[in-house]
Amino acid sequence: MKATPLSNCERRFLLRAIQEKKRLDGRQCYDYRNIRVSFGAERGCCIVELGRTRVLAQVSCELVSPKPNRPTEGVLFFNLELSPMAAPGLEPGRQSELLVSLNRLLERCLRDSKCIDTESLCVVAGEKVWQIRLDVHLLNHDGNITDAASIAGIVALCHFRRPDVSVQGEEVTVYTPEERDPVPLSIHHMPICVSFAFFHQGTYLLVDPTEREERVMDGFLVIAMNKHHEICTIQSSGVVMLVPDQILRCSKIAAVKVTEITEQIQKALENDQKARKEGGKFGFAESIPFQRITAFKMESAAVDTNDVEEQAKEIIAKADPPAEVFSKPVLLAAGTAQIGEGVENSWGDLEESEKEEAAEEEGESEAAAFECQKVETEDTMRETKNGKYCFSWYHILLYPFL
Amino acid sequence: TVEPLEYYRRFLKENCRPDGRELGEFRTTTVNIGSITTADGSALVKLGNTTVICGVKAELAAPAADSANKGYIVPNVELPSLCAERFRSGPPGEEAQAASQFIADVIENSQMIVKEDLCIANGKLAWVLYCDIICLDYDGNLLDASVFALLAALKNVQLPLVTINEETGLSEVNLKQKNPLLIRKHPVATSFAVFDDTLLIVDPTAEEEDLATGTVTIVTDEEGRLCSVHKPGGSPLTGAKLQDCITRAITRHKEVKKLIDKVIKSITPK
Amino acid sequence: MAAVMAVESGQSRLRPFSCELGLLSRPDGRATFLQGVTPSVLAGLYGPVEAKISKELPDRAALEVLLRPKVGLPGVLERSREQLLRQTCEAVVLGALHPRTAITLVLQVLSDASLLSCCLNAACMALLDAGLPLAALFCGVTCALQPDGSVLLDPTARQEQEARAILTFAIGSSERKVLMATTKGSCSVEEMQQCLAAAQGAADTIFQFYRDSVRRRYCKS
Repeated sequence: MKATPLSNCERRFLLRAIQEKKRLDGRQCYDYRNIRVSFGAERGCCIVELGRTRVLAQVSCELVSPKPNRPTEGVLFFNLELSPMAAPGLEPGRQSELLVSLNRLLERCLRDSKCIDTESLCVVAGEKVWQIRLDVHLLNHDGNITDAASIAGIVALCHFRRPDVSVQGEEVTVYTPEERDPVPLSIHHMPICVSFAFFHQGTYLLVDPTEREERVMDGFLVIAMNKHHEICTIQSSGVVMLVPDQILRCSKIAAVKVTEITEQIQKALENDQKARKEGGKFGFAESIPFQRITAFKMESAAVDTNDVEEQAKEIIAKADPPAEVFSKPVLLAAGTAQIGEGVENSWGDLEESEKEEAAEEEGESEAAAFECQKVETEDTMRETKNGKYCFSWYHILLYPFL
Repeated sequence: TVEPLEYYRRFLKENCRPDGRELGEFRTTTVNIGSITTADGSALVKLGNTTVICGVKAELAAPAADSANKGYIVPNVELPSLCAERFRSGPPGEEAQAASQFIADVIENSQMIVKEDLCIANGKLAWVLYCDIICLDYDGNLLDASVFALLAALKNVQLPLVTINEETGLSEVNLKQKNPLLIRKHPVATSFAVFDDTLLIVDPTAEEEDLATGTVTIVTDEEGRLCSVHKPGGSPLTGAKLQDCITRAITRHKEVKKLIDKVIKSITPK
Repeated sequence: MAAVMAVESGQSRLRPFSCELGLLSRPDGRATFLQGVTPSVLAGLYGPVEAKISKELPDRAALEVLLRPKVGLPGVLERSREQLLRQTCEAVVLGALHPRTAITLVLQVLSDASLLSCCLNAACMALLDAGLPLAALFCGVTCALQPDGSVLLDPTARQEQEARAILTFAIGSSERKVLMATTKGSCSVEEMQQCLAAAQGAADTIFQFYRDSVRRRYCKS
């Protein structure tokens, strides 16, 4: 499906509004949109909503053999998918430029910042290590995928628990959650991306741009930072020259935002942990806002299945019993048999003549087929039979190979 | 024909089809067993013009860690571009993938081959059966022909005796002593096309499939149990109509079973 | 857990269903559907929009269904389910009203134990939310045949593992006819008909759920 283009007047309107320090959703230039984190029923699964941008993250693990040059380190694998659900114009399975750059940014933010202790993922050095896989799906695209994906990624990683293992000699035992409590990943710090959009050659700056704003921006700057105000990644793209002061100002803003977001994430994680510990309700079903008119819940309903047996019996009794008469199979040769239950197929007749003529020249059998055809065409249903004859030759050609 | 649907309706009103069959009639079914000499088991099935060939290749592999006493069966349905105009060469399309999944489901549901039978040494060695089903000519009712070809090919499989030498721990293959595969159930598929939401016709041709508003495939085994009721969308049907389909499928099963028994008997050395 | 849910004789319980409509801003139709806690599916629908020339159909809308798993890329199982879902939707969508257009329905699995019935329900609710003209509604019902031969509706993941056979039906709202059927494991003819009758009974409850949720959204008070 095609993406809808942005019209010139929309573009001009947006740019003029930004010059007047106004944004379409009523935010100030440095305001971040609301973040909402909800967790799934299983571990390592979360949905992050950043305004109307919505991202799903899922972490999974698997025992694999390590890379030969790093025998004592676990493997991390990140995959960001732009689901065609997120926006028109996104196609499944296509490696667009945007997708590649987003994936790379996510890797730099979460792997290259060394926020996950990969050595703790080693089970048997050089033989078996854990591979941690993070799948991030964009569900709704309303700008700033980078930030939403980095938040969802780190939250899912913090929420995830891997099965406990023990090593005795060469035997590796993986315990189910019932046998031993699963263990969390050891995470040193939480890097979070903060995005900035620049307009009019860098004169105007907006934090957390929406999709519309992203379409008219000149330049884009992403700063990944943790709550200790250490910069993990910085990346600028687009056609804008930034003065050092701009970058310093951005990093100061990022520091404030990251502190806020980290606090919020940790609160969400604690709440979920508490709900799980106390046996309360958790999962996506609990995060639906049921006070809204768009949401609806039905209590567990009973379905009467008393008369099911009678109904089934009735239907079976009414139906005709299976027919007992059926055609006998005909053995054509050793290993070849046929049931001609359908109408005597034209090539079925030929099969007989073909057997007789098997020893003869193939050209002759073709001639015979032609003759047969002439006789048959006097019949009423011409076209279909003709079609069948074409195939009978094919069958003759094939037959010697069988 | 200018108005294919109207053309068909006229015929169906008279309870017959343009190719002269009645509504409940199958096309002529021909089976040839052992068509490919290089495969461990093979069969060619013709259902009217629809031609499907199935080859089974057996290989040795180590079983998966979580199911140490099980072998593998890997079915694959191929619809190459030669079998009909609408298929393109390249990676398998949706129809081929859906058919592969259906065949895998039939094998799993019917338990025609128990995967434990394919295990040679627990946790060490097991058979992998690659069942490649290739359609040579597509004229409708691919699923029936494929299931039949698979069954016939599996009946034809002769596996060499494999023993594990206890001293060396290596496997030894005795090619002189071959045993047939144990087939526990004989699933047979019967497909129907639904015309104008009401009429059921058996064994549809490609043209009939295109014009029909839906299809149903029912797989039964020799005890009359249902191995699969596969109705991928299309026209809604009542339970009674489904029952009619099942009745027809049971009759068809008896016929096909006789056919396959006869073929197998004809090639077994006395 | 839910597995120990008491089942009275001659009765089978459906788990509490919940849904949310209109939760995404970009798609034209969107819905999330949850059965109990675990199986939950998010659906987004775009269309009818201009179709690509290669996919365009001259007499009706071209419907495309994409099923996206949570981990990894879609495989053969997803493709065959996509086919089931697409043909079920095609049977109810009045595509002839929008010739030469495309309708894309994307289903994202949110929680594991992805039941086909949950996908079907989410798909139907997305069609409802998009306001597309439909000939009828449909709902997905899963029945499990327990080892003792009794029919269990809407089984949990654990009950499914224990079951002898699992049958999934899509039931249409007009005369409760079968739109789609698929089975796992083998069963006798009587058992199949029993499951079908039970599924038809459950369908009424689900259609009432659809109706109530749409009424809550569009009616005042």
